Amino acid sequence: MASLTLRSVRKQLGPNEILRGIDLEVEDGELVVLVGPSGCGKSTLLRTIAGLEIPDSGAVHIGERDVTRLAPRERDVAMVFQSYALYPHLTVRDNLAFGLKLRGEKPDVIAARVDEVARMLGLEALLDRYPRQMSGGQRQRVAMGRAIARRPKLFLFDEPLSNLDAALRAEVRVEIKKLHRELGATMVYVTHDQVEAMTLADRLVVLRTGEVEQVGPPLEVYGQPASRFVASFMGSPAMNFVPARGEADAVKAEGLTLPVRGAPEGEVLVGIRPHDVLERDGGPIAMDVEVVEAMGFEAYAHGKVGAVPFVARLEGDRAGAVKVGDRIALDVAPGAVHLFDAETQRALR
Amino acid sequence: MTERRDPMWIEVLVHVALLLAVAFALYPVLWVVSAALSPTDAPEVSAFPFPRDPSLRHFAAVVGTSDAEGRWLFGWQLFNSVVIAAATALTAIAIATPAAYAMARFDFVGKRGSTRALLATQMFPGVAAAIPLYLLLNFVHLLDTRSGLVLVYATTAVPFAIFQLRGAFEGIPKDLEEAAMVDGATRFGAFVRVVLPAARPALAITALFAFMTAWNEFILAATFLTSEEMYTLPVVLQRYIGEYDAQWPAFAAGAILVSVPVMLLFYALQRHLVGGLTSGGVKG
Amino acid sequence: MGKGRQRLATIALLACALVCSESAAQAGPAVGQAPVDVVVWHAYRGQEEAALRQVARAFEAENPDVRVRLVAQPFGAYASKLESAIPTGNGPDLFIDAHDRIESFASRGLLQPITPPDAEAFARRLDGRHQAAFTALGALHGYPLSVKTAALYVNASLAPDPIESFEDLEALALPDGVFPLAMEAESAYWTAGFFAAHGASLLNDEHGWGLEGEGALTALRRLSRWVESRVVPEESSGDLVKRLFSEGQAAAAISGPWLAPDLPEALDWRVQPLPVVASTGARMRPYATVEGAYLAARSAQPAAANRFAAFLTFGEGALLRARVARQIVTDREAWPALEGDAFLQRFREAADDAAVMPTHPHMRMIFGPADRAIRKVLRGTATPEDALEEGRHRFDDVTRPLPAPRSPAWGLAALGLLTLLGALAMVRRLREPAFRGALRKSMPAYRYVAHAAVAVGLLVILPLVVGGLTSFFAGRGLEEMYFVGVANYVDILVARGGDLLGHGSFWLVLAVTVLWTVLNVALHLVIGVFLALLLHRPYLRMKALYRVLLILPWAVPNYVTALAWKGMFHRQFGAVNALLTSLGAEPVSWFSHWTTAFSANVATNVWLGFPFMMVVTLGALTSIPKDVYEAAAVDGANAWQRFRLITAPMLVPFLAPAVAMGSVWTFNMFNVVFLVSGGEPDGSTEILVSEAYRWAFTRGNQYGYAAAYAVLIFLILLVSTRVASKAAEADA
Repeated sequence: MASLTLRSVRKQLGPNEILRGIDLEVEDGELVVLVGPSGCGKSTLLRTIAGLEIPDSGAVHIGERDVTRLAPRERDVAMVFQSYALYPHLTVRDNLAFGLKLRGEKPDVIAARVDEVARMLGLEALLDRYPRQMSGGQRQRVAMGRAIARRPKLFLFDEPLSNLDAALRAEVRVEIKKLHRELGATMVYVTHDQVEAMTLADRLVVLRTGEVEQVGPPLEVYGQPASRFVASFMGSPAMNFVPARGEADAVKAEGLTLPVRGAPEGEVLVGIRPHDVLERDGGPIAMDVEVVEAMGFEAYAHGKVGAVPFVARLEGDRAGAVKVGDRIALDVAPGAVHLFDAETQRALR
Repeated sequence: MTERRDPMWIEVLVHVALLLAVAFALYPVLWVVSAALSPTDAPEVSAFPFPRDPSLRHFAAVVGTSDAEGRWLFGWQLFNSVVIAAATALTAIAIATPAAYAMARFDFVGKRGSTRALLATQMFPGVAAAIPLYLLLNFVHLLDTRSGLVLVYATTAVPFAIFQLRGAFEGIPKDLEEAAMVDGATRFGAFVRVVLPAARPALAITALFAFMTAWNEFILAATFLTSEEMYTLPVVLQRYIGEYDAQWPAFAAGAILVSVPVMLLFYALQRHLVGGLTSGGVKG
Repeated sequence: MGKGRQRLATIALLACALVCSESAAQAGPAVGQAPVDVVVWHAYRGQEEAALRQVARAFEAENPDVRVRLVAQPFGAYASKLESAIPTGNGPDLFIDAHDRIESFASRGLLQPITPPDAEAFARRLDGRHQAAFTALGALHGYPLSVKTAALYVNASLAPDPIESFEDLEALALPDGVFPLAMEAESAYWTAGFFAAHGASLLNDEHGWGLEGEGALTALRRLSRWVESRVVPEESSGDLVKRLFSEGQAAAAISGPWLAPDLPEALDWRVQPLPVVASTGARMRPYATVEGAYLAARSAQPAAANRFAAFLTFGEGALLRARVARQIVTDREAWPALEGDAFLQRFREAADDAAVMPTHPHMRMIFGPADRAIRKVLRGTATPEDALEEGRHRFDDVTRPLPAPRSPAWGLAALGLLTLLGALAMVRRLREPAFRGALRKSMPAYRYVAHAAVAVGLLVILPLVVGGLTSFFAGRGLEEMYFVGVANYVDILVARGGDLLGHGSFWLVLAVTVLWTVLNVALHLVIGVFLALLLHRPYLRMKALYRVLLILPWAVPNYVTALAWKGMFHRQFGAVNALLTSLGAEPVSWFSHWTTAFSANVATNVWLGFPFMMVVTLGALTSIPKDVYEAAAVDGANAWQRFRLITAPMLVPFLAPAVAMGSVWTFNMFNVVFLVSGGEPDGSTEILVSEAYRWAFTRGNQYGYAAAYAVLIFLILLVSTRVASKAAEADA
């Protein structure tokens, strides 16, 4: 296992600058998730680590070794592709053994390793099948097995779960977490799914248009988003944003007046997660309800605060009581109010 | 809609249409067969080509051809045809495959130009190239050799093979090669170990076409080959058409002997034929 | 991986086997050092080939120091092969061919003069006319071997009495459906004697068009009347003559000695001199060609070859050829031994009567125009006067003087300028840093394409370019080419000074070619897509069987099927007309009208081409997802709407490249046009590429002119595909 260091990595593809100077440290044994919307450069960054793209400038180190200009095969990394990229002409066994054979391992070593991985992932019964004879979930397992069998210094995952259905995805997520613990391996994992990001990561890296927006443990990123972008990306339903005016120890907008100690003067953006509001008579937020979604143990009210769209989480039993057209009053804990600079959209506190 | 079966009369109509088409496709072939099986030298004609008292004597005559020294010519000529066609297919594939891969995967200076040049070669009537080719082969002393003919056939088959294979390679996900490269293969290693096996159907079809080019060609073969033990079967077939008369039954028997191997190959590869041609796509 | 390595090894082994077998085959003849090899080329088949072998064996028995290697060549490629092989030193020592090419052979340096071992015997034993036939450029260039000419075969049970005149033949009382005379009435070669009996000859004394005047017209009218009243069969061919006579369907036949071995034993027949034309009192006087052995230039063993040629010509050689191959041998002293052979004697008399075919190069060029003129009259599409006048024009056209030489300086200057400009542009681009960067990045790709580039460049593009460059030269044959600038192009584009839309003009042929291409590709597409849709039905029974049978036409070599189709379209004996008559329709004379001949070509080519489109469509159909149809069905689309709105648009991206490629191939589909209609009627179904072929090979080897056609074809295709792809891009 090894650590990974990226230093001001830049990459241009055609006219677009995909990576604009990325710095990142991944410690030995850490699972880092790169997350961001499509087009943020997360896949390109992963491919740069793998050696499938060569950066225009900057450096990539795996362990102590500078691998910036090395071919993928010289980096000793393994990668799980979104499409799984199983070799269609090879059986599962040969797929698992492929990398080992290329490295010139002895046949008995290969066989032992393949058996071990197959046992670990429950692939024993599938070893003689071809990829086309398997379900999506099985293929995904084989793809992971192929990476594991190699025992690389570094695992790379490129949205490995995006082709699975929701139930399977949750299952495999847990499994990956477990594997990470068992193998103690260094992993870099790319996803656009914030649930995956939250649940898997030791550390999250939020990327936006080729730059690192925020790095930190998942709860820190969730609790103290560094910018409106991060705040809106992490959490579902997304955070509400209400443009407001800061006055002495309060922020005010139409239908909203919140006491905030030390609030800055002038234009600010107030961010409140739907989960952080409570229905309370005489609460400082007045919301006009337009739609109510009942989810069972909880409910979501969609509507407007002033002219701004707003979503609030309600207790499940309130779903029947709150009607379309009602105006409800909401309260929010002072610690759950996020303030962003109206101009830069960076967090103010 | 696809789950529902159509009414009976539509089903019948479809079969009638297909049977008509099959009759159209088979009729001339049956004609050739009946001429070949005719017991005389002057085959009789009727609207329905089923020979009375079929005889295999023309086949026997064609197969039994031997030369002045009593060597079994037909055997040699069959051997020539097989070797030349097979070597053509292998050579054409060997030349075209890496080039098609580069066209599918790399950007390089001259890619558009060479694509156009390849397409252009398909447009120039071959009549104009026969004599320069003759002089060229003469220059490298490859006239009247199997290798010379293979060289000419293979290169003429290359442009089409490149189009065909480029389409096939474009249909293979890049992920596969990248996975192989991460797994420890060089770019070329990934091409050989992963891309080529994944493109097997297209390779088979391309090889079949190259094989057919060589197997059926006779104008160049008749010009470049000057000894009977070097002739290919189509050249031998032409020998049955003389200045004053033609031995049609022998020609027909020979034609059938020439066609059967290709038919068998078609039959063996027909599953790939449907997929291979399309995934290949003759992209211009 | 072991498997891959094994496969590589297998391929290497195969390649090795190929090369080894090559060297073994080449080593073969060189092993026997003692006897020298004399290589003899011939286009003989059957008994003639057998006789030749026997003579060779007899010669070897007497001359152990010489080994004769006989090589049979396909007749179709014989002449062009001699022309290319001999000058490059790949030719034989001796070759056997008719005398009428001697002038062009000699003038191109393919021959060397011979000195017979026994000059006195040569002069004594050979007819002066035969000696003269093999004299060119003032020297003897070959040994006359045998005479090929026509006589009258008579079916003794149908015509027991001697036939003196054509009128006797016409008057024969015959059963229904039996022709009085089987002859190739549409061929100028076979009717030349008939014209001669009417006082007209193919070539006049100045080697110009000779079919004119009252005699020619009378003969032509008479032939035409014969066809009408079924004295002779229509659309006759050598094959048909043989068949009719062997089956007792014709009372007499005009044919050569080669017919005899093919006649069935049961047939009671005799040979007699050709009939007399009663109105002029003259006997039909056909052409005789003298076949001989030529000593090839650059022969490695001229002395031994000369000895074998002499052996072949005289004595035992002549007798073997006469007895085994039924040849009318030239050696006078062989004849006493053949006294009792009535067949040979009759043919010898016929040969003595016949006119030895002139050797002037124009002789070979008159048959095309003359055949056409006769055919037009016999098929009732032109009056004799018009047909002969047209024939003369056509003949003058192909024999027109070649363009005057231009100073090659202009060509060289243009070439130099182009090279210079190209080099300059290259250097300028190389100076651009961006270009150099791109070039550097291209290096890995070049490793993959280099060998293909070299191979295709050297063996495909270079010959095409050289071929294209010959369009700036003129000359008949390879040896005497000279630079003429763009004269060939000008000639073609102004239709050689004739009517721009007249017969054989470039523009008319272009129009036919375009129509041919459009029609064929459209039919390929419609039939292919239709059948693919039928085959794609989910519950079709016997799907695999249908598919295999429908792909079949693709697997048969196209020259075979083209010939089969030609036979099927025969006026009297073709299957298509047999089918039509069995359905109660009138038989159609397919190759006498443009529409029907063109349709016959199209039918053949459609047959050849629809499987390709069918297979492409089948593949494309499997890639259309089923749910799209389901969605459309839910939306209420009927079958036709589903096809038009869903299937068709989704097929387009798959079919467009196939159509583009198919159009190019069809535009240049030489085999079908050449073999099925052969340009009939009157060259009007010729397409550009077959026209180019004719200029190169049947109209006096005008390679430069043919190359100009080829370049024009290339340019047309290049421009039209560019325009089409631009239009497609604009559409998308």
